[in-house]
Formats: sequence, C-alpha cells, structure tokens
Amino acid sequence: MAFNFQKIGEKILNACNPDPSKAGKTLLVLNAAGMIAAAASNTFAAAVDKNTSAEDKKFLVPAGLATGVANIGLYYAMTDKMIKSLKNSADTFVSSMEASDIAKNATELAKKTITKAETGFLGTGLFKKPKELVSSMKSTLFKDGIIDVKNITDDAIALYKNNTKAAAGVLGAFAGAVIGCAVLTPIIRDVSAYFIQKRMEKNNPDLREQPHRPYFDPTHLKINGVNKPMNMKNYMAFTQMHGNMKI
Amino acid sequence: MKINNIQQTKQNNKQNFRGNIANKATKFIAQHPAAIATLAGSSVIAQKIVMSGSEAVIGPVMDVGIGKTITKISGETDGRTNESSKTQAIRTFAQSTGGTIVGVIIRALCIGASTAMIAKIGAKAGSKAATKVSELINPDKLDKAKDAFKFQDKMSSWGKSVGGAIAIGVMLVTNFIIDAPFINWINKKVTGVVDKFSGNKQENQAKEVK
Repeated sequence: MAFNFQKIGEKILNACNPDPSKAGKTLLVLNAAGMIAAAASNTFAAAVDKNTSAEDKKFLVPAGLATGVANIGLYYAMTDKMIKSLKNSADTFVSSMEASDIAKNATELAKKTITKAETGFLGTGLFKKPKELVSSMKSTLFKDGIIDVKNITDDAIALYKNNTKAAAGVLGAFAGAVIGCAVLTPIIRDVSAYFIQKRMEKNNPDLREQPHRPYFDPTHLKINGVNKPMNMKNYMAFTQMHGNMKI
Repeated sequence: MKINNIQQTKQNNKQNFRGNIANKATKFIAQHPAAIATLAGSSVIAQKIVMSGSEAVIGPVMDVGIGKTITKISGETDGRTNESSKTQAIRTFAQSTGGTIVGVIIRALCIGASTAMIAKIGAKAGSKAATKVSELINPDKLDKAKDAFKFQDKMSSWGKSVGGAIAIGVMLVTNFIIDAPFINWINKKVTGVVDKFSGNKQENQAKEVK
C-alpha cells in the first residue's frame, strides 16, 4: 500500500493548526509527541541492547512501555483537563466584563503588541519590514491609526478576547508540563525502577549486592560487558557509554 | 445520611477550590494585558524553558525524597535505593539543563526556518501541493503587503507550531549526537562538585568527632 504523502502532510498541518481556540492544546500535543518519541527510543534501545538476556527483555521492554504509557497518559489527561478548565473560565470571565473594561484592556494589549513589533527582533526579524508591519498594526487595531481607546476597532477587541482565552490555555499547558515533568515523571520513573529491580533480583540473586538502578535502562547492569556494582564511579563509566533520551 | 452530607460537602469544596484557582488565574490574565501578551504567543521554546527549568530545580529534590520514602516503606536496611536516588538526582539535573540548552537551540532554528518557509508559501503558492498548503494556512487569502499585521501574525503562529513538530524529528537524531555527550559532560562536572562537597563534609565531621 503506497503512502499518500499529501494526506499525511494535510493531517500533520491540521494537527499543528495554530488557531487561537486551540492554543495550549497544540503545546500539549507537541510535548506529548516529544515524550512518546523519547519513550519509544528508550524502549527500542533496551530491546536491541546486547548486554541484556532475552529472558530479561521479555519483562523489561513491556515494563518500559507501561511506564511510558502511564507517564504520558497521566500527563496528557491532567493537562488537557487544566487547559479546558482555564479556557472555559476565561471565556466566562470575558463574557461577563463590561464593554468599557474590554475596550480599555484591548487598547492596552494593542499598544503592547505594537511596541513589541517596534522593538522586538524575533517576531519581525524574519519579515524584514517592521515599518510596514507597525503601520499595518496601527490601522488594523485603531481607526485611522490613531492610538486611543475611543478609536479601538473590532479587530482589536477580537484580538483581546482570543488572546485572553489563548493565554489561559497556554497557562494550563505550562502548569501541566511543570507538574507532569517535575512531579509525576520522577514518581513513576523511580517507583517503577524499584519494582523492576526487585523483579530482576528474583531471577538474578547477584544483583542484591548492587544499589537499585536509578531509572529504567537494562544496560545499567553491565559496563563494557562486565557486571559491576553501581557506585558513583561505575555509574559515571556507564553514562560515558549510554545517554538516556530526553526530547 | 450525615456521612453522605460530609462527602458531598468535601466534593463541593474540592470543586470550588479547583474552580477558584482557575477563576483567579483567568481573572488575573484578563485584567493584565502584559500577561496576555507574554503568554498568548508562547511557543514550544517557552514551554521547554518553563518545563525543564522547573524539572532542574524540583526534579532532584523529588528523586531524593522518593528514595527516602521507598526506603522507609520497604524497610530496606542497606540504603541502596537512597544511594541510587542521589545518583538519579544528579542525572535529572544534568538531563534537564543539557536538554534545555540543546532543545531550545534546535527548536528556535526549526521555528525560524519553518516560519520563513511558511510565509513564502502562504504569500505566493507555486506548485499544486504548495497551493493546497497555502489554502490551508492562509484561508482568508491575506495579502503580505496589504494585511501585513494579520499575515505575519498568522504565519508566525503556523511557523511556531510546524517548527515545533519538525523539531521533534530533528531531535531524535541530535539527541544521540549532541545531547548524550553534553549531558554526560554536565553529569561528570556536577558529580565532581558533589563528591568534593560530600568529601569536605565527611572530613569536617571526622575532625569534629576527633
């Protein structure tokens, strides 16, 4: 069956659609995709490792996959809920605001957007026409390009409403990424490493002489093909040989 | 009946707590255009900095804490889990700092390249495939010169998004050739500092005992 590259390309582009209503969700999807790629690479590295017996691989590879699925699944479910909750809250709050307050905040946001374009490098650098861009911004966001709350346009109001919702979604994505990466991942990784080690010790009593493996990686057990205790010095020798994937 | 009421109240409190946090956060954002301007346009670069920065600070503390908890719960007497959790803490720090530096550079390059490419396709489609892509990324047919602001806003958003996706593919390769040796280098340096520090501490303790 031949690949339909056009359809695949369209699907990828649709998934990356940066519509403000999807803000936060796109960050979540991209981060989760990175985590899936990293977990898959780690598991693949474990599956093809020459130093691990076929018997151990039968346990280690599914264990690695299960740890990855639990980690990414929990992160995704939790962050998705946070993004939705913050976006809904932003929607409700903006809908309940007085028109004068919206106009005031929209003016402030429009002013900041214009200043950013005038002084920023990253946003305008690629387009190389900051003067044209700034004048286009002024005329889009204010009637006759005169910066004043009285001249605020519908485009500027829409920019404020959309960006408030988008900012709430991004905050949810950031909070989820921090909790997922700094709290959930260490718990899942360290606890699963403990149980994996216990299971390995059952089959290989010699391992009881070694400290627990700090994270899922069967190559920990051997350095240059020889079993060595996992002290700091040997651990450093091990890390010279293998790098854990992190995307 | 009473137990049901208590459970209901607890559940309501929990929901109110979550609702309050979300409401307070969004109220703050909506009333501070500076916060909107900072957050709304954030790309995967900002996400990586926030995520790995917090991992570099919180992650090692979590590793050591989890090691202590496992040792306590399992009643382990030889302290092996404790010892490996300290090693893992250094590894977590090295991974998050090294991964952030390389990850941010790769993401920035991919986003820059994608934005430039997308802006070109969005402005003037050539081939049949490019026309299809142009229809998708620029459905309103915004003109690069006439609608400069809206056009750039749209194209840089697409660039951030598509560049972030491309970066994942690129990093599958750079992870082995750049990240792994770089992280090992940081790991070695930090381990040296920790070893030196703990060596000094042990010497001081020995002196105090004498």
